[in-house]
Amino acid sequence: MRLLLIEDDLQAAEYLIKSLREHHHEVTHSADGVDGLEKATSQRFDVIIADRQLPRLDGLSIIAKLREKGDRTPVLILSALGTVDDRVHGLKAGGDDYLTKPFAFAELLARIEALSRRASLAAQEVTRLKYSDLELDLLARRATREGRTIDLTAKEFQLLEYFMRRPEQVITRTMLLEGVWNLHFDPQTNIIDVHMSRLRNCVDKGFSKPLIHTVRGAGYVLKDEQP
Amino acid sequence: MSSRKKFRLSASRVTLLYVLIFAAGISSILVASYYLTARVLDREVDAVIRGEVESLVDDYRRGGMLQLIDTLNRRADNWGRTGAVYLLADADGNRIAGNIGRWPNRLSSNGDWVEFEIDASEHGGVVAHPVRAHLFHLQDGVRLLVGTDILERKRLASRMRSAMLWGAGLCVGLATLVSIGYSRGVRRRVSEIAATCENIMRGDLSHRLRIEKASDEFDALSMTVNHMLDRIQQQTEVLRTTFDSAAHDLRAPLYRARVRIEEGLQHEDLPPAARSTMEATLSELERVQRTLGTLLQIAQAEGHGSELAMETLDFTSLARELVDLYQPEASTRGLTIAFSGSDSAQLRGNQQLLAQALVNLLENALKYVPSGCRVDVSVKSNKDSVVLEVADNGPGIPPEDRQRVLQPFVRLERDRPKSGSGLGLSLIAAVMRLHRATIELLDNNPGLRVRCTFPAN
Repeated sequence: MRLLLIEDDLQAAEYLIKSLREHHHEVTHSADGVDGLEKATSQRFDVIIADRQLPRLDGLSIIAKLREKGDRTPVLILSALGTVDDRVHGLKAGGDDYLTKPFAFAELLARIEALSRRASLAAQEVTRLKYSDLELDLLARRATREGRTIDLTAKEFQLLEYFMRRPEQVITRTMLLEGVWNLHFDPQTNIIDVHMSRLRNCVDKGFSKPLIHTVRGAGYVLKDEQP
Repeated sequence: MSSRKKFRLSASRVTLLYVLIFAAGISSILVASYYLTARVLDREVDAVIRGEVESLVDDYRRGGMLQLIDTLNRRADNWGRTGAVYLLADADGNRIAGNIGRWPNRLSSNGDWVEFEIDASEHGGVVAHPVRAHLFHLQDGVRLLVGTDILERKRLASRMRSAMLWGAGLCVGLATLVSIGYSRGVRRRVSEIAATCENIMRGDLSHRLRIEKASDEFDALSMTVNHMLDRIQQQTEVLRTTFDSAAHDLRAPLYRARVRIEEGLQHEDLPPAARSTMEATLSELERVQRTLGTLLQIAQAEGHGSELAMETLDFTSLARELVDLYQPEASTRGLTIAFSGSDSAQLRGNQQLLAQALVNLLENALKYVPSGCRVDVSVKSNKDSVVLEVADNGPGIPPEDRQRVLQPFVRLERDRPKSGSGLGLSLIAAVMRLHRATIELLDNNPGLRVRCTFPAN
């Protein structure tokens, strides 16, 4: 993937670039807002990662200028502000996702992947989702695997739908909290894990192979082979 | 609210007192002037009568009874012009001379001075005329009565009385109106000041008291308060920027440290001891990060509430959603969580902060309520309030500690071994203050009952 990282904290940027390259991403770096905007408009990127507070031109203004020009490249905002309404402001300004510093690298990586595929299945209006031998009927709210109906609660169905719309992508716990529960906070207990283990009990128990896997230090993935 | 009500009472009391004093003053002035005037008039009448009596007695002494009768007959013709009344009567009360028929029956006397009534035809009817007269005893029981018709004087006095009563009533009425208007004005300005102050207490320091340019005491007070607010705003601004930049400056190195450790952990050939140390350090960093985040949230809820996005939301569905989220985790810990709520409880608030407050309540229950106990969460919507209750039958909080634990960094001695920052309840309290809600920690016999009461939307 081609990524543009606009970040003035050089030390942090250096680690991020190195880690992203280790995950086979092509990273262009810019240390200030004006230069970042110029790079963003002159080249094509899959995802832009922009710090909110930047010298010369702040992150939100960069997004506004890009959107003005009709550029719809997904933008992930990084912010050290972390106050209650910052996320709302960031997303209102045209940002696609928002991460508060400090964050786990796995979180960033998962969100970049999610953003790059955003245009595909996640937002599409479909009535039926299918992955491997698992099928979701979104109208009847029914899940079937190998032709057998799986009993799910409303919340479990929502949770499974979130995975089915993002097959083979790493989904973090905070992404689930945001996407399924619409909550933006950092839980102190592993509440998500309990929900996931219940879901896996329903979806994978008694079938030939597991579809939901734990990704160590990151989250979960829906995949029909061991990741 | 209660202080404003108290003020309303005191303003009315001052008004009432003012009107009473005014009424007493004006009545005593009018009563005094009435009696003085009446006395002057009485004396004038008495002086005229006394003069007449003297001149008649003089006639009698000089010319005897005949001369007196002659004078009386001449004078009697004057009736109706000066209102003079004469009667010379014998011992049986029969008239000898004078302008009235016979000796009056009912006469009230005060020494030689008498008052009685005579009937006189006037405008085709008979009118009783009051008369004041002087009685003089001549020889052989013959009596002389000299008096004046005092009808006009009585009419004047009664007119004066009613004029004075009307005047006094009008004055008191006017005074009442003026003082009600004044006390309304005072009350309006005090309510205005109180309303502004309430806005300020909610965290919006940009409000100022209105100056009416009347140069009165209220303007002086408002100006002083505004100066004070300027100072407080300045200091708050300094504190806030200091706090914000401190938080920012702490976040940046935390972020770098975290990225660095994560990078290190990616090396496959790391010795196990080094790996576990680094992982422990990472989780400590996460703890610091969380504490910092909570502090920032408290500061934001306490300090700059007015900048937060407030929306109308259904508190019942928010609470139900969160209980559902925590339910599985609670049951793995052997806790039962039950939710009950009104169909909908509309509330105006910041969704994220309210959710965080609920999460803190639920996580507290998970952390401090032992296995086997139950937690009941309920949302009730009344006419003027929305009440959230989280009740458990765990160990509870001793009464003497209940107020204290709402303060930042306060933890109970018995909870020391458990991890925690001591900020959870303070954040809840701050979020409640932001939403003008009250929080009470009550006894659930046994256990703790946390009750949050929000004003209805």
